[in-house]
Amino acid sequence: MGQTLVYGILNGSLYGIIALGIALVFGIMKYLNLAQGTLIILGAYIGLYLSQLGLDPFLSIPVVMVALFLFAAVLFKTCFSRLINFDEEEKIKNSLLISFGLMLFLDNLITVIWTSDERSITPAYSGITFELFGLRIPLIGLAGALLAVILILLLHLFLTRTYFGQSVVAVSQDQEAASLMGVNVSLTFLTSFAISVSIASIPSMLIALQSFSPTVGLHWFNKGIVVVILSGIGNIYGVLPAGLFLGIIEALSVYIFGPSYREVTGLAVFVLILILVPKGLFRRRGAA
Amino acid sequence: MHSRKIIPVILLLAVIALFPVMTRSEYILNIMITFFLYVILSESWNLIGGFAGQISLGHSAFFGIGALVTRLVWLSGIPVIPALFAGGIGAAALACSVGIPCLRMTQAYFPIGTLALAMIAQITIGNIFPLPGSLSSEYVAAYNLSSRYYLAFAVGIFTVLTVYLFARSKKGLALVAIRDDEGAAAAVGVKPFQHKILALLVSSFMAGLGGGIFAYQHVSYFYSAPFELSWAFLPTLTTFIGGLGTISGPIIGSVAFLALSELFVLNLGEIHLLVFGATFVLIVMFLPKGLFSLSVGIRSFLRDWALRLIGRGEAKKL
Repeated sequence: MGQTLVYGILNGSLYGIIALGIALVFGIMKYLNLAQGTLIILGAYIGLYLSQLGLDPFLSIPVVMVALFLFAAVLFKTCFSRLINFDEEEKIKNSLLISFGLMLFLDNLITVIWTSDERSITPAYSGITFELFGLRIPLIGLAGALLAVILILLLHLFLTRTYFGQSVVAVSQDQEAASLMGVNVSLTFLTSFAISVSIASIPSMLIALQSFSPTVGLHWFNKGIVVVILSGIGNIYGVLPAGLFLGIIEALSVYIFGPSYREVTGLAVFVLILILVPKGLFRRRGAA
Repeated sequence: MHSRKIIPVILLLAVIALFPVMTRSEYILNIMITFFLYVILSESWNLIGGFAGQISLGHSAFFGIGALVTRLVWLSGIPVIPALFAGGIGAAALACSVGIPCLRMTQAYFPIGTLALAMIAQITIGNIFPLPGSLSSEYVAAYNLSSRYYLAFAVGIFTVLTVYLFARSKKGLALVAIRDDEGAAAAVGVKPFQHKILALLVSSFMAGLGGGIFAYQHVSYFYSAPFELSWAFLPTLTTFIGGLGTISGPIIGSVAFLALSELFVLNLGEIHLLVFGATFVLIVMFLPKGLFSLSVGIRSFLRDWALRLIGRGEAKKL
């Protein structure tokens, strides 16, 4: 039981970071990026390529981050920039559709380049665990959880302490007013999108250390969107607790119903929440 | 439909109806059955996605339930046509129980919510029926491809006709009004929720019939196969690419999808999906009314151009 919870919490922090990228785009830009999961998998393949060159997975995170940042910037310029001035509902709908097409495109492009085999990166330390209060804790999972916490702190500092971060918050609150106050909205959008995709480099690496194949992107996007809805749309501080919540629920369901219904439980919770409490569980007043 | 269009359509249908007589090639007949299946699925999706404006990414759940119910009922010894209807009703029942709560979600969450439902259905059915279902030897001995062909053809015509009539009925017009401006439609007394429910029920019933055709056509398949998400993505792609909220759009899209997937069938990966994904993005960005609007646009451009030529000629004569 305790061991199950440990895995639940570690998985949950992974869900939290995946959700962070989606929540950032959704909260600030009102874009729903269905391709986020696929971009995570793309990052995993870049990481695989780097590890074949001999780079340690954790050291390759910054490289993958830069690669995804540039890729996302190009993607935004070519596909998403025309939606900037749409009203909110049209923005969500069109970005959802465009990213849906992109997801299919990228999934199959990845299959063509890397074949559909299941891959994973296994450095020497991948099996290491240590004991704490009689519970086994895997080293990589713990590192992932720490990265999640650091990432959210950094993002918080970025949004509250830097000029650019403040302009991001301004755009998320009122795009038109921000634009009138001299904020460069399209640059803010471009950068926010690229940042939120580059955040995917951390889940990329954590997933690459488990296992991945070209078409699992949607599966990971689903984990992310469940957490986003749980935490309340656009609330980036809610994603970690909501991620842990989902991780623990899944772990409990494995404990009770067995592993084959793990996915179903998470999704069922998600649908129930969409129907019953559409505003999310961890909503904070005045959160960005 | 204009009366002058009816004759070519009937001729085309007659030619299609003669296919099993003209050819014995199983390949061609199976391709045609797949084409009917795509049309049924796309046209039924078009009702909820195109005419009602609710982009569902969970159509595979209805398709799959239709396949599952039809297969089980048919294999229990009941003739296939009642089994097919049972499948349609099963899909509509699923829509009643889980689809209607989804319609309460605001527009952005409907696609994600239905996607989640489709995934739940796929995993659950995969867990309950882990083994593929095969036909017993007596069913295999009685297997006759042209009966599959005609049944699929009939259901295809039924689906297109239903969507056509529904779209032109008072309810269909109300649906389009709700899609275009829900507030205004509600203000003049059109009840948005009721109309959306009706569209979802009719749409899921027809998707269930499509699933039944799938179950009738295939000798052996995993029960979770018709629940795969590709069956939810397919009608979204074909309808968007052909033309959302038009009758011929989903048919054009299905032809294009089938042609492309046959063209690339021997290649690594699913290149047709790669092409379709890219086309889909371009269509959403630049041609939101689909390829159908392109043909309409070209036709009206040509007509204008011809009229101008004639007009200029007449002016010269004078």
